Amino acid sequence: MAIDFNEKVYILDGAMGTMLQKFGMSSDETTTQFGQKHPEILQEIHKQYIDAGADIIYAATFGINRFKMEELDVSLDEAVKVAMNAANAAKADAAAEGKHVKTALGLGPLGELLEPMGTLSFEEAYDAFSEVVSSAVRYGADLAVVETMTDLYEVKAAVLAVKENSELPVIVSMSFEENGRTFTGTSLEAMAMTLEGLGVDAMGINCSLGPAQILPMARKLRSLTDIPVFAKPNAGLPDPAMGDYDITCEEFVNTLSEYLDEGINMIGGCCGTDPQYIRGLAEYRESFVKQAKMKKVDRTLKVCSGTDVVSVDHVTVIGERINPTGKKRLKQALLDEDFDYILSQAIEQIDAGAEILDVNVGVPALDDVKMLPRVIKKLQSITGLPLQIDSSNPEAIEAALRVYNGKAIVNSVNGEEKVLDEILPIVRKYGAAVVGLTLDENGIPPTAEERLEIASRILTKAQSYGIPAENVIIDCLTLTASAQQKEANETLRAVRMVKEQLGLKTALGVSNISFGLPVRPVVNRTFLALAMENGLDLPIINPNDEDMMASIFAYNVLKNVDKNAVKYIERYADAEAAPSKISQKKDKSLTNASDKGGTGHDIFYYIEKGMKSETVNTVNNLLESKDEMIIVNDYLIPALDKVGRGFEKGTIFLPQMLQSAMAAQAGFDVVKERLAASDKETVSLGEVVVATVKGDIHDIGKNIVKVIMENYGYKIIDLGRDVPAEKIVETVKARNIRLVGLSALMTTTLKSMEETIAAVREAAPGCRVMVGGAVLTADYAAQIGADYYCPDAMKSVEAAQEVFDEQI
Amino acid sequence: MNVEIKKAINREKWLEAMHARGDINDELRTKLDEAEKMLVREAAPKAVYRVMEINEVSTCGFSIKKHLEGCSRVAVMGLTLGMGIDNLLRRTQIRDMALTVMLDCGASVMVEQLCDEFEEKIKQETKEKYSTFRFSPGYGDYPLSDQGRIARYLDASRKIGLTVTGSSLMIPRKSVTALIGLADHPVKGRLATCGECVLKEKCTLRKEGKFCGD
Repeated sequence: MAIDFNEKVYILDGAMGTMLQKFGMSSDETTTQFGQKHPEILQEIHKQYIDAGADIIYAATFGINRFKMEELDVSLDEAVKVAMNAANAAKADAAAEGKHVKTALGLGPLGELLEPMGTLSFEEAYDAFSEVVSSAVRYGADLAVVETMTDLYEVKAAVLAVKENSELPVIVSMSFEENGRTFTGTSLEAMAMTLEGLGVDAMGINCSLGPAQILPMARKLRSLTDIPVFAKPNAGLPDPAMGDYDITCEEFVNTLSEYLDEGINMIGGCCGTDPQYIRGLAEYRESFVKQAKMKKVDRTLKVCSGTDVVSVDHVTVIGERINPTGKKRLKQALLDEDFDYILSQAIEQIDAGAEILDVNVGVPALDDVKMLPRVIKKLQSITGLPLQIDSSNPEAIEAALRVYNGKAIVNSVNGEEKVLDEILPIVRKYGAAVVGLTLDENGIPPTAEERLEIASRILTKAQSYGIPAENVIIDCLTLTASAQQKEANETLRAVRMVKEQLGLKTALGVSNISFGLPVRPVVNRTFLALAMENGLDLPIINPNDEDMMASIFAYNVLKNVDKNAVKYIERYADAEAAPSKISQKKDKSLTNASDKGGTGHDIFYYIEKGMKSETVNTVNNLLESKDEMIIVNDYLIPALDKVGRGFEKGTIFLPQMLQSAMAAQAGFDVVKERLAASDKETVSLGEVVVATVKGDIHDIGKNIVKVIMENYGYKIIDLGRDVPAEKIVETVKARNIRLVGLSALMTTTLKSMEETIAAVREAAPGCRVMVGGAVLTADYAAQIGADYYCPDAMKSVEAAQEVFDEQI
Repeated sequence: MNVEIKKAINREKWLEAMHARGDINDELRTKLDEAEKMLVREAAPKAVYRVMEINEVSTCGFSIKKHLEGCSRVAVMGLTLGMGIDNLLRRTQIRDMALTVMLDCGASVMVEQLCDEFEEKIKQETKEKYSTFRFSPGYGDYPLSDQGRIARYLDASRKIGLTVTGSSLMIPRKSVTALIGLADHPVKGRLATCGECVLKEKCTLRKEGKFCGD
């Protein structure tokens, strides 16, 4: 089944939609609808492209999937059959004339956007593609083409669906804007890296622009990968008023000939092209001897998210904070599924300068196979930073890599055969990089030579599984200088040896070095400096520790990496001296309110003015003499009440109230931190479920309610947006919930709200429901059966007070 | 096509969208300036239009038919601020709901302003001398469910990255689709009346005795 796409010049076909219009498709029909009605026209178009010289024809399956069933009068399987049969019939006719062409199953965007932009889960996208692939296999296809994609995540679902449900070769093309990114922000580099990792057979660019605009991008893509590259541009750019494309067939063909000079040996056309264009390309075919001047692809280690690429050609900080070991608050957040806290930890590290984030959810009693992919999904909804998946459980690693958008790092394997054999195939399948620890069943060897030997074994094994050397990172393990002084120094030697003798990138956790010694920061940053000098590429540190970050910035100046010290100066120009910089930074991260006001005011003032750092300081001071709950009940809540009253009177408006709420929140966080540290239960006034109903994605209102209610001491279980009634009912029953808050913004989703209320009523008659959203009114809320209508967040607090008071 | 952001976000409309009352102090003004910078940085506005014969355009509801009465052709338009704004709002709301509300309201004003300019551009580029104002699904009894049809006429997901969910919501969130009637003789278009509006039972303006067209 394998096809060598490098073997010759492949001519691909041209537009299907444009041709169907010529055959009489109306403006109210989709290509799928028209094609399904007229399979003979599909076959005729395929024939015309084959006659024109196409080697590969795309079956008209582009728009067939479970989310577009309303376009079909028949089953999905039947529709795939009609489209594949039309292509295969044209192929058979050609074969009878001695022409051998291949038919491709075309897979286009599903039409529903994936999370986090849309609401479609990765898993459902995978299932949707799998359905189509399984049908196509039944009716015969020579390869699968995933095309016109703008979201790398959706591409990944499609590629896995092809690979896991068929033996078909799979080629992928995405659509880029002139800035070199897709609508969803995927860059050429992220695409190349991720798809190469997933093992696609060729990759390319189609649609959106003409050949002249795509050429520089195709050239760049060619330089980013060794695998075959292809292009299917539009016939120029469309005229906005008329929809016609603006270049002639001759211009199209001339420009595309340049593609072949670049080593792009598969070409065809997209929107606006017809068989004449393809004939033009095919006529040139003979003169297109393979003259690819292939440049050597840069093989530096790179990792990426769905949008951003990090090239490890400099000291690259991996943020270590998302790891519950020794962090009670994070551990509690993981157990409570308090994702906002986890995400705030991520944002803090990003702001501090981390370039990659390590993600570890290792809490006993927590199922990491479920939790790790959930946290990964949450993180990639708010950041484009690449992630390092930190687990030793192969199942959890696979679950996380599967839903990861981009190329991740797996942390970690070690020299044990069993570990390598379990984890490396997973690393290979998803095209990740991997950290290898220099230890094995006999523990951590004392000498650098022995650690190098293990590193070398890990590399050999990784390569035997098809993992390229650049994707192997070695961690020579930091030992504690106070306990194993001699071995600690061996770590530095081992880093240098791995670097020089194996040519691999190195990682190290740093802070372990100083355990048991006084003034740990000095030991840490000195060790970090030594390690960098010995070749450390990826320090795994707390980026909020400005001392460590400063060492890295200074190192880059001294090693002539940071030219003219631009970055160093940018970061530290305003700092008086290194030590004070630390406190200064901390302060900055805490406040985005003005620093007016200063001291001398009470907490009521600070909260009303939304001054975070002052609120935090005051709470800290209060904690010295007062009990946690007294601070909550006598200070924080009354301060909020005062703001709330102002809001209701109209003297304070929404953003100001939220600013105050956030200041109060910072105060609550201090209290919570203290409670977690002393193992006291956080006192909650009651558990409230909030959700934006099925079909609706507008969640800002719900999130406002969440912030305010949390401040009043309610524990909020946030089910997110587009939440099906069943999930809400399930949660209400499982946790015996007394109050549910539902939001909907659009008229179209009020129906869904009504259904959800009915479902909650039936399953839990004692549970109260409050509703809110722009198109609701008190009358309408009553009409659909809600107990409370909350036009704003303060009203939801009142509703909760009533519900939970009536219980007591 | 890419749309250039030429004008500042109208502060009055922005504050109105946030229901801001009372004194607007300097601190707030500074915050709006900062929020605007973020919006301008993350927005990548794109728009597309297509002129169709009136009989090629299917519509549901009474309001839009009345609005287009007498027109021979229709300019179908779509405009989006792009996914960058959705990403910005998602990221911001983890730590700063106040800023999120500000950004959300600012983006809404921005998208309407850009639509005003794009509407003008369409009117200049089309041959008809007369035209109506733009009319979007969700207004009057023109159902949101027609959003998908408009996106399809425009091939909007491929052309500008504007998609419509199964429940007729647009992603990116800050997006607009609309129809503009074109004619060779004077046409005015028509505002929907409360009587035909799907929101008539739920409209807060109406309860206050006001009309959204005022």
